[in-house]
Amino acid sequence: MMSFDTFVAVASGGLALGAIYALMAAGLAAVWTTLGIFNFAHGAFIALGAYIGWQIADAEAAGLGLAAGVVGAFVGLFVIGILFHLALVRPFERRPDIVTACVITTLAGAAICESAINLIWGPRSKQLGQLARGEVDLGVFRLPVSDLVLIAVVGATLGTLGWFLSRTRTGRAMRAVSQNREAAELMGLDVPRLYALAFGLSAAIAGLAGIFVGGLRFMTPTMGTDPLMKALIVVILGGIARFTSPIYAAILVGFVESFSNYYVGLYWTPAVLFAMMIVVLFLKPSGLFGHHQRTL
Amino acid sequence: MPPISSPPLGAILAVSGVTKSFGALRAVDNVSFAMAPGEILGIAGPNGSGKSTLFNAITRIPFDMDAGIVVFEGRQVQNLPAHRLAALGLARTFQRETVFPSLSAVDNVIVAIEQTKRGGSLRRNVLLAEQALDIVGFPATLHNWRAAALPVFLRKLVMIAGAIALDPKVLLLDEPASSLTPDEIDRLRALIRQLREMGLAILLIEHVLELLTGVSDRLMVLDQGRVIALGEPAQVVRDPQVVEAYLGVAP
Ligand SMILES: Nc1ncnc2c1ncn2[C@@H]1O[C@H](COP(=O)(O)OP(=O)(O)OP(=O)(O)O)[C@@H](O)[C@H]1O
Ligand SMILES: [Mg+2]
Repeated sequence: MMSFDTFVAVASGGLALGAIYALMAAGLAAVWTTLGIFNFAHGAFIALGAYIGWQIADAEAAGLGLAAGVVGAFVGLFVIGILFHLALVRPFERRPDIVTACVITTLAGAAICESAINLIWGPRSKQLGQLARGEVDLGVFRLPVSDLVLIAVVGATLGTLGWFLSRTRTGRAMRAVSQNREAAELMGLDVPRLYALAFGLSAAIAGLAGIFVGGLRFMTPTMGTDPLMKALIVVILGGIARFTSPIYAAILVGFVESFSNYYVGLYWTPAVLFAMMIVVLFLKPSGLFGHHQRTL
Repeated sequence: MPPISSPPLGAILAVSGVTKSFGALRAVDNVSFAMAPGEILGIAGPNGSGKSTLFNAITRIPFDMDAGIVVFEGRQVQNLPAHRLAALGLARTFQRETVFPSLSAVDNVIVAIEQTKRGGSLRRNVLLAEQALDIVGFPATLHNWRAAALPVFLRKLVMIAGAIALDPKVLLLDEPASSLTPDEIDRLRALIRQLREMGLAILLIEHVLELLTGVSDRLMVLDQGRVIALGEPAQVVRDPQVVEAYLGVAP
């Protein structure tokens, strides 16, 4: 039996992981639902976000502090995401085989990003600082402050994204275009601009996630691969019927991973997660929280 | 050669030499026509004769033409992106009812209005959207229904309302009457006439010939991507080439 303190630590670690996966899955889903393609470079965007954040934040580099790093990673990846879209996705947009074409181009893009990281920052692994130090004492148990900050930042980001999608003109247009491209063109929407924007936003959110991943683990050029896999599991588990459905699934995956690491062991965790995914696919092919209809 | 009636003077939309191939198939082959402001130009033709492809090529949704010129209000527009064409006043609908399924009827139209210069505060946009829905005769009690939950006819009305909300000068309607009941077709006929009263020029593809000849000022017939007749509807339907294209036999 695990002690209560351990239980709380494992649970809060799970929640923090879940929050990161939620960010990743939201970004992945944003591109999948609007453009109808799967972006295999999403993991590389995470790595780029972490390295750009490190470059801005770390004392060995610019030393401007982690908050500046967060902003830099977000803005930097937004720009990179848009350029990536213009170069590697837009040219294939109207081809009937766009899905396969973009499997190849986004995989190539991922390789380019990872090589670029290697060239610029070298292969030696780095680490980003924690978002905050210490623990808060909640009387019954203690929680690491960094987990709380992470959960708060992710909550605020997803909340802002939700607000943007439902309350702003551009956000509504993005939701609309994700439902039906031709209807969007009929209604006079600038579809290419909205697609570029969706890609940029998705990358920016990945950049933010990268900062968090870089605070949890050592940074390497391929550090995004594992979180990308988890985000994929999240998207499949949760379905993308609503903007919120991957969020619940992400928290679930975070918890399962955290508890499985503790009970079953680190090396068995991916197997546990995939087993869970396969069971869900059997019982409810459209995901736990709804159907595979494309909509933001 | 069939009698190609001369393009009306001061045409609002003039199309010339539009061609679009899919592989070896010439779906639209060197099509030219022009329409006057406020005119209803009907387009008929057997299945697969290239009617929808002509619309697609003109509006660049969802593909570009191979060759051809489109002049809208005296200005070449064939290279403008689709949303710019819409903003200039060239709007279209699709053969299948094409809407945003998870948005309510009124939100569907609001999304369109938000793209136009007429758009303003949300309250104003709601008002404009409701106006557009009223014009097409969409029942006020269903404004907040999700489009996916509406019957076909009402989804078509939402689609037409979205196009009208852009305040177009020319409206391209692709088979608005398909899969409608006779009753609904009557309402559609009234709507088309009303839109003309409002000053829109309408390019109308339709299989329901009786609707087409009833509202059109002129009629154009396509066969295998080519214009085989263009003129007075009553004359065109008696044209031997048209009869042959439809019945597959020489008269
Ligand atoms: N995207 C496409 N790719 C390949 N072929 C196409 C495409 N769109 C249309 N076609 C072909 O082009 C020809 C013309 O099609 P189009 O849809 O324009 O006909 P239509 O006159 O609108 O017919 P209908 O009355 O059935 O709507 C058909 O042979 C069709 O199969
Ligand atoms: Mg058609």
